[in-house]
Amino acid sequence: MGVISAIGNSVAENHQSLKNATCGVSKEFDLFPTKYAGLLPFGQVPISTEDLQKQLLVNDPGVTRTTLLALHALNEAIADCGISAEEIQSFDTALIGANTVGGMCLTDELYNDANEKTDGSDYLASYDCASVNLYLQKHFKIKGIINTINTACSSSANAIMYGAMLMKNGYAKRAIVGGTDCLAKFTINGFNALHILSSDNCTPFDEGRKGLNLGEGAAFLILEKEEDIKGRKVYAELTGYSNANDAYHPSSLSDEGDGPFLSMQGALKVANLTADKIDFINAHGTGTENNDEVESKAMIRLFDKPPAFASTKGNIGHTLGASGAIEAVYSILSLIHQEVYANLHFKNTIPSTGLTPVQSYTKMPVNHIMSNSFGFGGNCSSLIFSKV
Amino acid sequence: MLYIHKTYCISAQQDLLQANIELINEAVDKKLLAIEPSYEKIPPGILRRMGKSIRMGVGAALPLISETDNIDGIIMGSANAGMDDCVKFLNQMVQYEEGQLTPGSFVQSTGNVIAGQLGLITKNKGYNITHIHLGLAFENALLDAMMQLNTNQSNTYLVGGVDEISPFHYNIETLAGSYKKEDISNKYLYETDSPGCVVGEGAAMFVVNAEAASSIAKVAAISTIHSTDIELLKQQLNLFLQKNIPAGENVDLFLSGENGDNRTLPYYTACETLLADDTAVVRYKHMVGDYATVSAPGLWYACEFLQQPVPEHMFKKKTSKTEYRNILLYNNFKGLQHSFILVSNL
Amino acid sequence: METAELKLQVKKQIIEFLNLISVKPEDIKDDEPLFGEGLGLDSIDSIELIVLLGREYGIDIKDPKEGRKVLADINTMVAYIEQHRTK
Repeated sequence: MGVISAIGNSVAENHQSLKNATCGVSKEFDLFPTKYAGLLPFGQVPISTEDLQKQLLVNDPGVTRTTLLALHALNEAIADCGISAEEIQSFDTALIGANTVGGMCLTDELYNDANEKTDGSDYLASYDCASVNLYLQKHFKIKGIINTINTACSSSANAIMYGAMLMKNGYAKRAIVGGTDCLAKFTINGFNALHILSSDNCTPFDEGRKGLNLGEGAAFLILEKEEDIKGRKVYAELTGYSNANDAYHPSSLSDEGDGPFLSMQGALKVANLTADKIDFINAHGTGTENNDEVESKAMIRLFDKPPAFASTKGNIGHTLGASGAIEAVYSILSLIHQEVYANLHFKNTIPSTGLTPVQSYTKMPVNHIMSNSFGFGGNCSSLIFSKV
Repeated sequence: MLYIHKTYCISAQQDLLQANIELINEAVDKKLLAIEPSYEKIPPGILRRMGKSIRMGVGAALPLISETDNIDGIIMGSANAGMDDCVKFLNQMVQYEEGQLTPGSFVQSTGNVIAGQLGLITKNKGYNITHIHLGLAFENALLDAMMQLNTNQSNTYLVGGVDEISPFHYNIETLAGSYKKEDISNKYLYETDSPGCVVGEGAAMFVVNAEAASSIAKVAAISTIHSTDIELLKQQLNLFLQKNIPAGENVDLFLSGENGDNRTLPYYTACETLLADDTAVVRYKHMVGDYATVSAPGLWYACEFLQQPVPEHMFKKKTSKTEYRNILLYNNFKGLQHSFILVSNL
Repeated sequence: METAELKLQVKKQIIEFLNLISVKPEDIKDDEPLFGEGLGLDSIDSIELIVLLGREYGIDIKDPKEGRKVLADINTMVAYIEQHRTK
C-alpha cells in the first residue's frame, strides 16, 4: 500500500495522524492563486509541485501534480509490497487507476490551449484523466491491462473493483489499483458554485454541518490472488464490492438513499456476509447536508442498528477520485491494528437519524470493514475488506 | 465472450449501408460531424442542459433501452465526455474572475455524465460505470461487460462508446498535431502520405448478454496493448489468433482502423502481413473519422457485415468470400494504445 | 420599469439563462411554481437563477433556502427584484 494526503506522505505517517486525530485541513493554502485562498479550508498535501518533481526525479515536461501524487503513492506501494520490476512488467500485471481532475489542475494552460491563445503548451497530452496512467505505464513499463475509470467521487472504489474482476476472470494475476486527484481551481469553483463547500472545517454527520472541504492525495494498493502471494506480507482480503446507481439527481442523493443502500447490500452479497458481521463502516461522510443524512438513513435501512462508523473527510477533506483508494488504505489500517479512528469536529447528532459516529481513537476487534464512496451521477460503490 | 442483440449508431454516415453505397458524406472543414437524430426520447427539460456528446450518447442509448425488457447495468466508454462543459465552466471562471458561477456546466463536466444521465432518465439502479482510458475507453467497457456477464449470466447490459468533436478539444488536438494540416477530402483519406487523421465523432450502443439465441454477433475475445513496438504488437497478435481462432478457421475479414496517418500506418500493415491470403481487408475511418472511442462504430460495422454485404469503397483487399465468420477489428490510437476485438457469427 | 415589463424581461432571461428550448415567455404564468410541477426546474436551476439575479440585478442571495422562497414563481421573483435591485 502507498498513500499521500494532507496528513502524511506515507502509510506510516497517515497512520500516526489518524491515531492522533490530526486535522490536515486548514485555510493555509499556497498551491496556486485563487480568490478562495485563506477564505475556504483545504486539505492540501504540504509539498509544492516543484519539490514533488525533485523528490521523484521527474524531469519530463508536461507531468501534472495529479500524476506526481499518483507516482509518489505508487512508488511506496511497490516498495512496500516488494514486487520486482519483472513482475510489474509481466503481461499479467494490470494497472487500474482513477481520477476526476486529470490535468484540469492546469487551469491557465488549459484555458489558453483550448481557446487557441498559444502555440501549444507542454501539457497538450496531459489534460485528460487517462494521462496519469499513461505516464505510470511508461514509467514502470507496464504491459498488462491498463484502464482509467471515472465515476466521479466513487472512481477509485470502482478501480479497486475492476482490478478484482480482472483477476477473478483470469485477465490478470496481479492488479495495481488506486486513485489520485489534486486540488484545482476548477473543482474549487465548481463545488463552490453548487454551494456545498463549507467555510469552516467540515463536520461529517453533525447536525450543524455546512458542507464539504476539498482535499487532495493519492493511494495505490497491490492486489494478488491468494495462490500467487509467494510469502509476501498480506494486509487484508478484499471480500466484497458492489456498484449501484441512485438514479435520482445529477449532483445529490435521493431521500430514500436507494443507491447507497443497494451498493452496501450488494457488497455484503458478494462477500457472502450478513449485515451483523460488519464491525465498522468507513463512511463517505462528506459533511454536506444531503450526503450525511441520506447515507445515515441508508445505513439504518440496511443494518437496522448500524455498526460503529466514522468519516475521515475531517482529517484530509474530500479527495474526490482518490478518496475510495485512500479510504481503502485507512480501512485496512483499521484491520491490521484492530482499531478505529475518530470522526473529527462532530458535536450533535442529526435529529432525523440519531446516529453518532466514533469520536475518538478506539481499540476494538475489527474483522470486516465496509468502505463507502458515492459520487455525482448517482454512482455509489461499497467495498468490504476482511482480516486475514 | 458476449452476444450482441441490438445496436444503434450515430455517426457522420448514419444511413450509409442502406443508401447508395458509392455515396459518402463528406467532411466539412476536415471534420466528420455526426448526423444527429431528433432525440424525441430525451425529456426536453434534460436535453436543454446536454452538450453534444451527452446528447449523442443518451440519444443513441434510449431507443435501445426502451426496446429491451430489462437492462441490468450501463457501461460506457468515453475519453472526453463532458470536456466541452468543462472548458465552458473554465471560461466562465476566467471571465467572472471566480465570482458567482452557474454550476450547470460543472455538473455536466464530469466524465461519468452519460452513464449517470442514462441511469437517471431510465431509473436504472444497477451497475453503472464509465471507462475513460482514452483510446481504450470503449474496449475496457466491452471487457467490463464480458466480466460482468461471466459473473451474472442472466443479466443484460447496455455498452457504448461516445465522443464528440468539441471546439476546445479540437483546438488542443490541432495544437498537438493530431489532424491533417493539408486540405483533403475524407474520400481520399488513404491516398495521403502525411501525418494526422480526419477527426470524427459519434455514439455506438450495444445491448449485450450471454445468450446466443437471436443475437446478431458474438464478441469472442478482446485484447489491449500499450506499446510503440511493432514486433511486440505482432507477437501479441499471433498469440491472440492462436488462442482465439478455432482450429481449421481463419480471420475472414480484417476490419482495419487505418486512418490515413503515415505515423500509424506501419502498425496496420504489420498486422496485415500476419493474416492469411484469403483474409479481406476493410477500412471504415474515411466514413466516421478517427477519435478515441472509434472502435465502437467499428464494432457496429462488424455487426453489419455479418448481416449484409460490405460496400465496395470500404475494401482495401477483396477476396472471393462474400460471407464472413470471423471478423478481427484492430485499432491503434496515437501509436500507443492497441486493441484486437474478435467478432464472429454464431 | 413597469412591473409587467419587468416580468416579461425576467421570463426572457430565465428562458435564455436556462436554455429552456421550446418554452416561450407567454408559456410561463406569473403565479405558476417554477420548480417541481410548473416549469419542472430543479435545484441546480435554482442556483443558476440566483446567479442570474446577481449578474442582471446586482442582488446577492447568500442562503439557498431564502433563494427558494424568492424563486417560488414569477410574482415573488419580480417583487423581490423591485425591492432589492442595485442595478
